[in-house]
Amino acid sequence: MESIIRVDKLSKSFTTKERKKGQKRKRTVQALKDVDLVVYEGENFGLLGPNGAGKTTLIKCLTTLLLPSEGTAWVNGYNIHKQEDSVRASLGCMLMGDRGLYWKLTGRENLDYFGALYHVPRDVRRKRIGELIDLLKLDEYADRTVETYSSGQKMLVAFAKALINDAPILFFDEPTVTMDVPTARELRRIVRSLNKDQGKTIVYTTHLMHEAEELCDRVAIIDRGEIIALGTPNDLKASLVREDVVQLEGVFPARTVDRLRATPGVRDVVVKAEGNGRTTLAVVCDNSRLLLPRIIEAVSGNGASLEYIKPQEVTLEDVFIAKTGRSLAIDTREVVKEAGKGGGGRG
Amino acid sequence: MAAVGVSRGFGLGRPGWPAKLNVVRTVFLARIRIISRYKGAILMEALLPIVFAAMPVLLGTSVAGGNPAEAFCNTLVRGGGLVIPPGETCIQNYPNFGNYKLYMLIGASTFTVVSIMMWLIGYWVRREQETGTLESLALAPARRIWILAGVTSYAFVRAMIAFVIAILLGSLVFQVNPFEQGVAPALAFLALGLLPLWGLSFMFGAFIMRIKEADSVIQVLQWVLAFLMGVFYPLTLLPPLMQGIAGLFPPTVMTDAIRASILNITYFYGSAYGSVAVLFAMALVTPLLGYELFEVTERRLRRREGVGHY
Repeated sequence: MESIIRVDKLSKSFTTKERKKGQKRKRTVQALKDVDLVVYEGENFGLLGPNGAGKTTLIKCLTTLLLPSEGTAWVNGYNIHKQEDSVRASLGCMLMGDRGLYWKLTGRENLDYFGALYHVPRDVRRKRIGELIDLLKLDEYADRTVETYSSGQKMLVAFAKALINDAPILFFDEPTVTMDVPTARELRRIVRSLNKDQGKTIVYTTHLMHEAEELCDRVAIIDRGEIIALGTPNDLKASLVREDVVQLEGVFPARTVDRLRATPGVRDVVVKAEGNGRTTLAVVCDNSRLLLPRIIEAVSGNGASLEYIKPQEVTLEDVFIAKTGRSLAIDTREVVKEAGKGGGGRG
Repeated sequence: MAAVGVSRGFGLGRPGWPAKLNVVRTVFLARIRIISRYKGAILMEALLPIVFAAMPVLLGTSVAGGNPAEAFCNTLVRGGGLVIPPGETCIQNYPNFGNYKLYMLIGASTFTVVSIMMWLIGYWVRREQETGTLESLALAPARRIWILAGVTSYAFVRAMIAFVIAILLGSLVFQVNPFEQGVAPALAFLALGLLPLWGLSFMFGAFIMRIKEADSVIQVLQWVLAFLMGVFYPLTLLPPLMQGIAGLFPPTVMTDAIRASILNITYFYGSAYGSVAVLFAMALVTPLLGYELFEVTERRLRRREGVGHY
């Protein structure tokens, strides 16, 4: 297989200004650290990670929206520093959700506008717009101004915009984020078809594990600017087969997590969700069948109330938990903040 | 894994002139479509210079009392270093110099052209930042120069519509005739003056892109611009240093030259040739500087937070 995207030691740091108690302070944030990556031609490649992990920064560097601080990359054989226009011509991108459309133009006019900016000849453009309207079932509202659309409709037009130039590489940054369930499912079907039937290379970022598992041939898990795992979803999950995950729901006193962690055979415990006094814990252990009595014992007493126990199949989220000690549901930026206070995640 | 015959997309290699001009045309038409969907915007814009000119005309009349034309003529003649023979009126010797209403109307109308060209680019950049379309533009392979050419062409057309309507309606309202003399040279000065204005609008767009704020800047610059351009007064009323600064500002030279040719009064740079030479030099330098500044600013943003940051 030939590589179509090659990333070589790509780093990106930002200087941000913090304003606290009337004082301004500059702070450097390392958004990407020495990222090396290869995406192969015709691959559906997933970039996974929580908010703030560096997924969008990586995509922005690859699409020439951001200049990396160090390192470089080649997209479709073109260097992102030296051949920017050719890189852009090789890509179809949906990076900003429903933003990036002209609200006073109709959906059709938007597609025509961006088609011209991608140098799609007028007659081809007209035909292509018709095809996209049919494919995404936009005909009901394609001739209304975008300002009258729902969020989901805007997302679909933004998706169509990414396809207008029929590019060999497509970048989708959380494309289903504001869509209802049936529309999101239909969009995933189209993404699959673009990859399998038309041979397009797709880079798909998401924090929804089921999307990645459903769509991607390979995934890279990115956290705090670094790729911490890379492989097919099955390989990544297989790397954890010797571990079980048990999900516990209920009301647990503060020390429950420590008691669980101290239980022999328990590898890690992660707080997955909290609300209304109830907590969901994911317990990663060697053998759940054997350990279950000890787990129940550890969470019992001291005012705890165990309401539900569910052994889980290994998911990509479990891979993330195993690699970082945190749940994907938790915003990385929050974890960084907590870590600064001396608590928080392990990774 | 890849299917046979994967599309290569479009725009790889160097796009030819038809593709470049198609970008200009598409951007231009899209802007026209958008503004046409804001009902009454262009008409309101055209009425503005008439209201804008009416204020100093009324103020001048109230201050100068019974003969504002004579008072205005005196100011222009003295400022231009001309002499009025003793015992004669200014208007008798320099009849063209007393047409203060047309002077104000031309000033207000060219000011409208300048502000529309500049503010439209400023607002365009800001709005595109806010709506995310600036990032969409940055993702496309079309060169920035062609996109900007489309936007500035649109701003130019809007400015010209406002200018023509303002001059025509204003002539009726103020009972003046702008077509008596010097119309052709005035149009030539307008055309020549628009080139540096094009460059200035790039500079202003770059500034707005950098600071991510348009309203307050425009509020302030509106008055600075009117002051430097001498919209309602001859530049000779300014102190020498200010005259020097104002004379380096392309819209000032353009406005002065248009007024001088239509009213047949003295030029700031001494003669029509002087104004042509200065405007020509500005037309060569300013667009290049403006585009360079726009590119440098965009590159700086791409190095820092990205063009989509708003």
